[in-house]
Amino acid sequence: MQLDAKIPSGPLSDKWDKHRFELKLVNPANKRKYNIIVVGTGLAGGSAAASLAELGYYVKNFCVQDSPRRAHSIAAQGGINAAKNYQNDGDSIWRLFYDTIKGGDFRAREANVHRLAQVSNHIIDHCVAQGIPFAREYGGLLSNRSFGGAQVSRTFYARGQTGQQLLLGAYSALMRQVAAGLVTLFPRREMLDLVVINGQARGIVVRNMITGEIESHAADAVVMCTGGYANVFYLSTNAMASNVSATFRAYKKGAFFANPCYTQIHPTCIPVHGTYQSKLTLMSESLRNDGRVWVPKTPGDKRPPNQIPESERDYYLENKYPSFGNLVPRDVASRNAKAQCDLGKGVGETGFAVYLDFKDAIKRDGKDVIAQKYGNLFQMYEKITASNPYEAPMMIYPASHYVMGGLWVDYNLMSNLPGLFVMGEANFSDHGANRLGASALMQGLADGYFVIPYTIGGYLVGMDRPEVTTDHPAFKDAVHYVTERINKLLSINGKRTVDDIHRQLGHILWEYCGMSRSEEGLLKARKLIQELRGEFWENALVPGSSEDFNQSLERAGRVADFLEFAELLVIDAFERKESCGAHFNDAYQTEENEAKRDDENFCHVAAWEYKGDDTAPELHKEPLVFENVELTQRSYK
Amino acid sequence: MTKNIDITLKIWRQKNADVKGGFETYHASNISIDMSFLEMIDVVNEQLTLDGKDPIAFDHDCREGICGMCGAVVNGRAHGPEKGTTLCQLHMRHFSSGDTIVIEPWRAKAFPIIKDLAVDRSAFDQIIVAGGYISVNTGGAPDANAIPISQEIAEKAMDAAACIGCGACVASCPNASAMLFTGAKISQFALLPQGRPEAALRALAMVRKMDELCFGNCGNERECEVECPKEISISNIARMNREFFKAGLGSAVM
Amino acid sequence: MNWFTNTFGSSLGKKLMMAVTGLFFCVFLVLHLAGNLTIYMGKDVFNSYAEHLHSLGPLLTLAEWGLLIFAVIHISSGLLLFYQNFKARPERYAVNKRAGGRTLGSATMPYTGVILLLFVIYHLFNFHFVDKTHTTIFQIVSNAFAQPSYVLIYTFAMIIAAVHVSHGFWSAFQTLGANHPKYTPFLRGLSLVFSLIVGIGFGFIPVYVSLLV
Repeated sequence: MQLDAKIPSGPLSDKWDKHRFELKLVNPANKRKYNIIVVGTGLAGGSAAASLAELGYYVKNFCVQDSPRRAHSIAAQGGINAAKNYQNDGDSIWRLFYDTIKGGDFRAREANVHRLAQVSNHIIDHCVAQGIPFAREYGGLLSNRSFGGAQVSRTFYARGQTGQQLLLGAYSALMRQVAAGLVTLFPRREMLDLVVINGQARGIVVRNMITGEIESHAADAVVMCTGGYANVFYLSTNAMASNVSATFRAYKKGAFFANPCYTQIHPTCIPVHGTYQSKLTLMSESLRNDGRVWVPKTPGDKRPPNQIPESERDYYLENKYPSFGNLVPRDVASRNAKAQCDLGKGVGETGFAVYLDFKDAIKRDGKDVIAQKYGNLFQMYEKITASNPYEAPMMIYPASHYVMGGLWVDYNLMSNLPGLFVMGEANFSDHGANRLGASALMQGLADGYFVIPYTIGGYLVGMDRPEVTTDHPAFKDAVHYVTERINKLLSINGKRTVDDIHRQLGHILWEYCGMSRSEEGLLKARKLIQELRGEFWENALVPGSSEDFNQSLERAGRVADFLEFAELLVIDAFERKESCGAHFNDAYQTEENEAKRDDENFCHVAAWEYKGDDTAPELHKEPLVFENVELTQRSYK
Repeated sequence: MTKNIDITLKIWRQKNADVKGGFETYHASNISIDMSFLEMIDVVNEQLTLDGKDPIAFDHDCREGICGMCGAVVNGRAHGPEKGTTLCQLHMRHFSSGDTIVIEPWRAKAFPIIKDLAVDRSAFDQIIVAGGYISVNTGGAPDANAIPISQEIAEKAMDAAACIGCGACVASCPNASAMLFTGAKISQFALLPQGRPEAALRALAMVRKMDELCFGNCGNERECEVECPKEISISNIARMNREFFKAGLGSAVM
Repeated sequence: MNWFTNTFGSSLGKKLMMAVTGLFFCVFLVLHLAGNLTIYMGKDVFNSYAEHLHSLGPLLTLAEWGLLIFAVIHISSGLLLFYQNFKARPERYAVNKRAGGRTLGSATMPYTGVILLLFVIYHLFNFHFVDKTHTTIFQIVSNAFAQPSYVLIYTFAMIIAAVHVSHGFWSAFQTLGANHPKYTPFLRGLSLVFSLIVGIGFGFIPVYVSLLV
């Protein structure tokens, strides 16, 4: 099957305008006849549900949390990029586009990324109009900062809580549509299956997490904004409920899963400190603007940081990358931290940490300025570690944070299954092999506010669909399948808790499919995952009943999917015999230990098709064509 | 460096909203002081699961103090004894070996219990539905820098907007009032020029909805601002009051 | 419901009424205290103050009716709020601990309020609804405070009043929306000073009078 990305023809900067003109419009009076399901209420889902309802569509919006306001977008700290060039420092739509493509190591579509850069400016306008209290200068204009890997100040922020503020903006817009009666909310619902009829996505099956009831919902289109799967690593910066289940169910129903091996490791997290640990906490990347990363020059130096003189400190990022210094992209910063720790120069109790030091910044700008910029982050750090970053350097270590991979979508953000749209982190589209800081918020909102409202109309009037209700046999089958699976989980009655198995899965992936990968390790990981999956279905212990508020059952279902999905991740990593962005295979590196791409053979999107539980998935390649940028070896020297 | 402690837990267990609940006592030993409070409950739950008992249900998600999903009253204090801290960010180093810790759910008529420590806070969503937004459709916004907003005002609005909707204000209020939550949202939009056009409508609608949902009335006892994990000030309640009186007595909005 | 009942029947409307009437009573307390303090200048001054007051005639009646109406508003709103607050938390906490916001005054408002109500009724029957034809107000007062039980009751009531206004005074401003980083700390301080003035100013009079006789 040839994947068609449906990229419009014409010059890059005219594609989106041209495409919007060519898309068919839905008659305003007809819009209310269309039902649209939006799964997820994060930046993509919340903004999409609100914007679609504003147009007049009737929207059903689902989330696993108790309120749409809690989606994990809320935890994004640093900021949101836009090509406003308010700082007069040389930014432009083209530069944002180029930085994003380059940051993604040339593994994203030009057209998608350019559109993202184009609409970025509208996002800021809209968010300000919504009453989002972005940081401002004394004169009353918006403030910007430079952020992870960018040499211009294009990041808009609201203290260290930008994701929260943007999400609450989308949430407020959504609630306005609830008041208008165009959005019906279904909180505490977990999507357990996608219903496909005549090859078109026509509904979903969800579990009511309070009563345990399995509910069916039919619609003209399904928009999935269900986030990323970083929790496959068990320890990640994602929320506890973040999972792959919704996208994985869609994959099993025929949607292609693209680039699952592109998983981003964030360089600035609070280090792991115990086996009981349930999650890792991210310290915003903005800290690298003022903090200096270092380790002791001598391996095994266990002196407290304040007793290590300047001459015995190795500011390895500044030394190795003089022009970018501490602001190198995430993957570069992460791998270097790991390399230093592997050399025995790691610090802290476990030796898996590096210092992030604010001493010089405090000396330069004063404690007040630093406190104003990072006060809440410092406070959070102190709360968790009981160490004061104003006095002693922070300790940080990379952690699984974000995934660039996701369901394959075309330029319209529609998957290969007609009627199934996928947005935000759940799709694969805009970040290539590596995402730049402050770009996730931009993408989620771009998709929801400014892309789907146009493209969904084109689909709704462009394709015939039969009338279906939830009485259709496809719904009955899905409910049957979901119920059987829940009963099966509850009847394993083994001896290991689900968390325990999940933790082991995380170890396997972190070890063999984390920051750096090797073919040998990946083969081993695949085998270990298969064994662990076998053990799960024999030996897991899931207490309680299905007709109850049963959090153990919820977790069990997610972990069961992670166990299947992890294998797909490893297969994809194995098949991509190059290094690019966040995917780093030891066998493919430059002399400077940089990721070495193989543009000849791997300049494509790897989209995987499900072929059955016992059959290997089939790989489809979407070639990436670069007409406007020259593929260069990334260098941050 | 790491230290372990042994503690006794008295935790509220309640199967669902319709049955009576009660306290159960659990012993948790060898709890690392570096654990968060929720990780400590995780450990207890792992053991309960292995013992064939029903684990304790509690809401949680981000575990970094921003989603607002977690929360319980620990020894009489919402989110526990630390100032400006959510339950997930409370660490066991604030407890000592031998301590008895009593854990109760948020208690308010407007927050019915779902199970154990999990409560239904959809009343907060309903207050927002009543008017916690600025009525702008996607698309027509002017340039973001078209309206300058003084840094002072932007910062005040941000102070109010920092609310995570966890419900600790209601839980800690002796009267189970939701005025800090409602006041914070009304304040955020009342402060900003974008929010002024519908300020009167918003203040009236949100306060009326809040009343309708059977929250109690603010007695200016200030427990909420002390317990709020985001340290939102009751000056936002005063601002809500001003907005409400202005709207109720001085505007044309009925 | 129309806009009037919508506004005043709401939680904030009831609080507004509490605040306005409460502040009115604070003003009344100041005037009452100023009058009472004339007792320190001797019985003649005190008696003539009372006569002056009564010579106001209809104005005084108007003020008395005003006080009564305000009292009815303050008490009925207060009781209604108290009842609603009680209903807002049907199941109480097993462990209660103050976080640091609550004060003695704020925690006891409804109870001190009810005690004050009973006291005011008692007080009116002692000094207001009495036959004043063949006696002076000073005589009535000194006869009353010759009995230790009266002194005890009055002094206790004034301590209660002090506790009530210690929260009520600044709280009224907060309810009215007067909260400002520059002035609120001052108001809170003033609230404590005011409660001390009320407590000591009123509370010492029964003791003083009982010592005279």
